[in-house]
Amino acid sequence: MSATNIVLGVIGFDCHSVGNKILEAWFTESGFKVTNLGVMVSQEEFIAAAIETDAKAILVSSLYGHGEIDCAGLREKCIEKGLEDILLYVGGNLVVGKTPFPQVEEKFLKMGYDRVFGPDCSLEKVSEMLKADIAAKAK
Amino acid sequence: MTSNRVICVDIGSTYTKGAIFRLAEDRFVVEARAVTPTTVDYLPDGFFTVVQQLSPGADWHNLTAADAPCPVYFSSSAKGGLKVAVVGLVPEMSLQIARLAAFSAGARICASYPYRLTRSCISSIEKAQPDILLLCGGTDGGNERYVTENAQALAASDFNGTIVYAGNNAAVDRVSDLLADRELVICENLMPDFGRLNIEPVREAIRRVFLDRIVSGKGLDRLVAAFATQPVPTPLAVLNLVRVVGENIEGWQNFALIDMGGATTDFYSFADAYNPDSGTIMKGIVEPKLKRTVEGDLGMRVSAESTFETGEAYLAAVSDFSTEQMAALKNYVMGLTTNTGHLPANAIERYYDSLLAGACIYHSLMRHAGSIEEVFTAKGRVWAQTGKDLRRVSRIVGTGGYLAAMAREGSAVAISDRAVLPTEKTPLLPEKFVYLSDNDYILPLLGNLAEKFPRQCALTAVSSLTVTQHYEVKEPCQREFIKA
Ligand code: B12
Repeated sequence: MSATNIVLGVIGFDCHSVGNKILEAWFTESGFKVTNLGVMVSQEEFIAAAIETDAKAILVSSLYGHGEIDCAGLREKCIEKGLEDILLYVGGNLVVGKTPFPQVEEKFLKMGYDRVFGPDCSLEKVSEMLKADIAAKAK
Repeated sequence: MTSNRVICVDIGSTYTKGAIFRLAEDRFVVEARAVTPTTVDYLPDGFFTVVQQLSPGADWHNLTAADAPCPVYFSSSAKGGLKVAVVGLVPEMSLQIARLAAFSAGARICASYPYRLTRSCISSIEKAQPDILLLCGGTDGGNERYVTENAQALAASDFNGTIVYAGNNAAVDRVSDLLADRELVICENLMPDFGRLNIEPVREAIRRVFLDRIVSGKGLDRLVAAFATQPVPTPLAVLNLVRVVGENIEGWQNFALIDMGGATTDFYSFADAYNPDSGTIMKGIVEPKLKRTVEGDLGMRVSAESTFETGEAYLAAVSDFSTEQMAALKNYVMGLTTNTGHLPANAIERYYDSLLAGACIYHSLMRHAGSIEEVFTAKGRVWAQTGKDLRRVSRIVGTGGYLAAMAREGSAVAISDRAVLPTEKTPLLPEKFVYLSDNDYILPLLGNLAEKFPRQCALTAVSSLTVTQHYEVKEPCQREFIKA
């Protein structure tokens, strides 16, 4: 079986590139075929890449504090483009300031993201979840 | 006659033109030229008329390649040229790459379709009956659904041209099975990974199909057999010429060429699409260095009416015409569409023609060029670029009968360095350049020699051009880029 495709990128006009490189290396090593769009990626670019590569998940990063505005509406656009079943993960420093994580998580879950992560998440756990979520969707 | 001579013939839709060249040291010299109306019923007739005029000493009709006094190369755009329909997935991605690939193979794209082929798409393909349908979509190992569904739709259709498949390699077996009873050519994916272009194999596949199947369909196989030569579509001859000039002539690493005809305006560029040190951030695909686009709605005669429609706002802006004067221009244009052989009869008609030429150039340039858009981020201003950056283009060459005639008469060719009409984004147009005219209209013929004699062909091309105008931006508008 060929590797599962996932799309990765930092959304909006955010140019924090270090974490993005780490995520690319990590998920590639974990057996995924990663299409990394890099920094400053628009919602449309995420969607175009997911369609052409038949990705099972889009992993969105937002570090610079504008996550709420940048990430809103991605789920709706995916549905509109025929990606009803795609998994959406989001992580990084999602909001400005010190909002407690559960509140942040709730906000992004409401926006249609399947899973939400803070900056100190364990990548090992993330890949396990991702594999399990993809397997569950395939059923 | 010795073998340092070559004959080039271009079989166009209305005229068959030819020239005999002599190779003198490092470049070619034109010895004679000939032209005759294209014989649409049987293209070789017009071809032989021209060759016989150029080299009367031999009995060309009954020759074989071995005893021909000199080699013959030819190109053709007769009988509709190389008509291609393009089917891709995402419009800005695989479909856009497929369009670039088809244009760079010398094709005339009759239609392009993203995502799924609906019944109405299929029926318009059946009606248009393109020579080739280029089917692609999906990265390797990526999306298979759309290409297989589209292959299925094509299998059930009455389209009977050749299908070139250049999509997801994981879908090759299914696509081949579905299209088993069609003429199908499989080639490498033109976007193997997301955003990575792989255009060469598609270009080569289209070239082969042109030679193996289309040439004979247009009655040119007799010439191929007689002269052991491989014809190319006329636009490919021009594209090859642009490439050898860019690759061989110093100072020509950033230039563009406009080939303006009665029906279409072709725009070619040889330039780096993206300059990372300009401080802009690239969005979408980085286009190839060698690029061709074709505008089917922009032309001086057959397409005069659509040129007027597309260019109405431009024409009003540059001419300062009153409503009555615009109406008079429109009247002239409507006359051209029915009388496509019309030549301007007086000063005002010459002015009208130069305005129309300006509109063709302006819109074809704006569509060929990319643009930048200012975005405000937490870090400050940033420029996001899409498409090809033509700002460094330092030479623009004009070819085709109309531009050649304008240059000979001394009428100026309008080329704008900025958007004349309000645009959302700033177009990346050439800022400082000279305009060179192909006064003798020799470039398309010369293009036939590009593959065999790259350096000599390039030298001949640049030395045959006449510098007619210098353009320079008075106040550069978009210069202060910040580093991303
Ligand atoms: C280096 C840095 C910069 C550099 C970036 C250079 C570069 N090329 O990357 C520069 C100087 C350019 C910069 C600029 C800015 N920065 Co800064 N920057 C940092 C800094 C110090 C380190 C970031 C980093 O590289 N971390 C290391 C990597 C490995 O971690 P990471 O990025 O967090 O990514 C990991 C996780 O978050 C997680 N993850 C990330 N995404 C995802 C997604 C998923 C799905 C999952 C599962 C996990 C996951 O996994 C990653 C790998 O382990 C942080 C502070 C900090 N300590 O985090 C501030 C920080 C991110 N910046 C900040 C700010 C405000 C800015 C600016 C707006 C400052 C300004 N006013 O100009 C600009 C924004 C510019 C822009 N347009 O993006 C704030 C963001 C505040 C917020 N979100 O509330 C921070 C947090 C500093 C702070 N405490 O105020 N910055």
